[in-house]
Amino acid sequence: MLIHTGAPDLAEAWDDEAWAALRSWLDETIGSGVGIEGGPLGLDADATTVKVRDGQLIVTDGPYAETKEQIAGYDVIECPSLEEAVRWAGRHPHSWMGAVEVRALAGGAPAVHLPEPGAGKTRYMMLVCTDPAAGPREYASMEPVDPWVAEMDGRGIRLFGSELEPPSAARTVRVRDKHAIVTDGPFAETKEQIAGFDVLECGDLDEAIEVAAKHPMARVGLLEVRPFRRLGED
Amino acid sequence: MSEAPPAVGVASVVGTVVADAFRQEWGRITAALIHQTGDWDLAEECAQEAFAQALRRWPRDGVPDRPGAWLMTVARNGAIDRLRRSSIYRAKVEELAVMASRETGTSDPDRGADDSGVPDERLRLIFTCCHPALAMEARVALTLRTLTGLSTAEIARAFLVPEATMAKRLVRAKHKIAHARIPYRIPSASALPQRVPGVLAVLYLVFNEGYSASAGDDLIRRDLCDRAVALTQVLAELLPEEPEAKGLLALMLFHRARQAARVNDRGDLVRMEDQDRTRWDHAQIELARWYLEYAVAARRPGQYQIQAAIAGCHAAAPTAEATDWPRIAWLYQHLADLTGSPVVELNRAVAVAMADGPAAGLALLQRLEADGALAGYYLLPATRADFMRRLGRNEEAASAYEEAAALAGTGPERRFLNAQLAKVRSQHT
Repeated sequence: MLIHTGAPDLAEAWDDEAWAALRSWLDETIGSGVGIEGGPLGLDADATTVKVRDGQLIVTDGPYAETKEQIAGYDVIECPSLEEAVRWAGRHPHSWMGAVEVRALAGGAPAVHLPEPGAGKTRYMMLVCTDPAAGPREYASMEPVDPWVAEMDGRGIRLFGSELEPPSAARTVRVRDKHAIVTDGPFAETKEQIAGFDVLECGDLDEAIEVAAKHPMARVGLLEVRPFRRLGED
Repeated sequence: MSEAPPAVGVASVVGTVVADAFRQEWGRITAALIHQTGDWDLAEECAQEAFAQALRRWPRDGVPDRPGAWLMTVARNGAIDRLRRSSIYRAKVEELAVMASRETGTSDPDRGADDSGVPDERLRLIFTCCHPALAMEARVALTLRTLTGLSTAEIARAFLVPEATMAKRLVRAKHKIAHARIPYRIPSASALPQRVPGVLAVLYLVFNEGYSASAGDDLIRRDLCDRAVALTQVLAELLPEEPEAKGLLALMLFHRARQAARVNDRGDLVRMEDQDRTRWDHAQIELARWYLEYAVAARRPGQYQIQAAIAGCHAAAPTAEATDWPRIAWLYQHLADLTGSPVVELNRAVAVAMADGPAAGLALLQRLEADGALAGYYLLPATRADFMRRLGRNEEAASAYEEAAALAGTGPERRFLNAQLAKVRSQHT
C-alpha cells in the first residue's frame, strides 16, 4: 500500500507538471499490471475518529493523529518486493510534493479492484489505528476481527481491506531536488499508528460511524473514517 | 398601491414585526430549504433575501396575515429561481415546486398562503448542526448561524474571535457536512438517547457563554442567552419524550430570571445572597418551575433536571437565610454521583458548608484540593477563602483571596475578590 501525503494546502500546489506526472504514473502502473486500486481521499478536516470506551461511543472531529503532512490518497500496487514498491513510490508526484509511505499488506493479502461507487453511496477509507493509551495486554485480549469482516462483507459495506505490516517495516519516500530520500518508518512520527485499513461504502457518515464502532479495534484503538475525494469537489 | 415611502412610524412598527418574524421564522425557513435543496449557503441566502423583501414590502403593502408562510414562500421562490439558473439542479427545482404547491397551495406569497402543512424541519437541522463528527466550536457556530440567524460577524464578536476565523469555521463545517455526508436527519429512536445530550450540551454552552461572559461585557452576550432559551424551547416542544430538554429549559429560565439582579449599577457581580430578590423575574421562575415539574413527571432524572431543581431551591427562598441548604446539598450529592464532575463536588462543598457549617465544607474542599483536578480554577481558592473567612481565620482567607484574584479572568469577578480581600484585611489588622 502506498499512502500519499502532503501539506493541507497541497491542492493549490498541483500544477500541470504534477498532473502530467500523475497521469503517466497511473498509465505505467496500470499498463505494467502493477497498479490495482487507489484514489484520492478527503483532507484531515473531513475525517472523523471513532472509539468505544467503557461501552460509550466517542466520536471526534479530525484525523487519528495530528500531523504536518496529511493523508491525501492511496494506491495498492502488486510488486514482487518492497524495493520495487519503493521505486514506484519515488515516481509518484506526492513523493516530491509531500511524502509517500510504503507498507506491505500483512500476509501478502491479494489486492482487489473496486467497481465504481453505487448510486447514493459514499465511499470511506477507514484507517484502523493503535491508541498509545492501550497496553499490549489490551491488544492481546482483543476480540477477533473475522466476524466483523464477515458481517460487513455480507452487508455489502466492506469492499476491501487488510491488516498492514507493522510501522517498523514501513518505508517513507521523499524526493527533494530530484533525489529520493528513503527513510525507515511511517510518514509521521506519531504515537498513534496505522495498523490496517478497510474501504467502506455507506449511505452516510452515521452508517460509517456505526460500522467503525463495531470493529473490535474500536474498544482498544481508534478508527478513522474519511470520505474519498470526489472529483470537482472543493 | 402607493409608491410613496411610508411614514416613519409605520416603518418602525413594521421593522419590529419583521424582527419578531426573524426570531420565530429564520430557523424554520433555513431548515426547510436545506432539507429540500441540500444546499446550506443557498438556504441562508434565500432566507436573508426573504426578510430583506419583507422590510421593503410590508411597510408599503401591509403585514401579511401569516408572516411566516409569506416569508417561507418568498424564500422558496428565491431558491427555485436560483436553482433554475444552474441546470444541474433541474430535478431539485421540480421537487421544490411540487412541495410548494402541496404545502401552501400557491407560489404567490400574497394569495393567503397557509403554513399549517409545512413540516417543521428544525429538528433535523439541530441534530445535523450538533453532529458529534463536528468540532464543538463548529457546532456552536453553525447552530447560531443557521438556526437563529445570528450573522457571522455577531457570532465572532460573541466568542471574541476575528470574523475571518469564524467565517472559516463555518465554511469548514459546511464542507465536512457535504464531503463526509453527515446526514440531514433526526437520529433513529435507538440512536436518539446517545445524541440528545450532545445537542443539549451545545445549547447550554451557548447559554453559559452569554450568561457568564467569560471575558468582556457586551449586549450580544445577553442576546446569546435569549437565543439559547428560544432554541431549547423549540427542542423541548419537538422532543416531548426527552425530559432533559425540559430540564435544561427550566435551568436556563431559573438563571435568566436572576439576570437583572446579578450585576449592580457599576457592573460588579452581586452574590446571590446579596441580590435584591424583588428584582428577580418571578413570572419566569414560575414558567421554569412548570417545565421542571413536567420534566420530573417522566421519572427519568438527568443532570439538567437536578441542576434545575437546585436553581429552583434558590428561587423559592424569599431571603438568602431561608434557603433550603440541606436539600441543595442532597441534590448536589445526586448530581456528583451522576456526573463525577469535580466542579459539582466544589458546589456540594459550598452547599454542605451552608447546611452544616464551614468546617464540614472545608473538609470536602480539602479532599478536592488534594485530588488536583481543579488546579488553576479560581473558584477553588475563592471558596476556600470564603470558608476561612467564616471560620474567622482571616490570614488564611486573605492569602486565598489573593490566589483567586490572580486566577480570575474578568473585571467583575476580580473586583469582587479584591473587595473581599480588603474586607478580611481590615478585620485582620
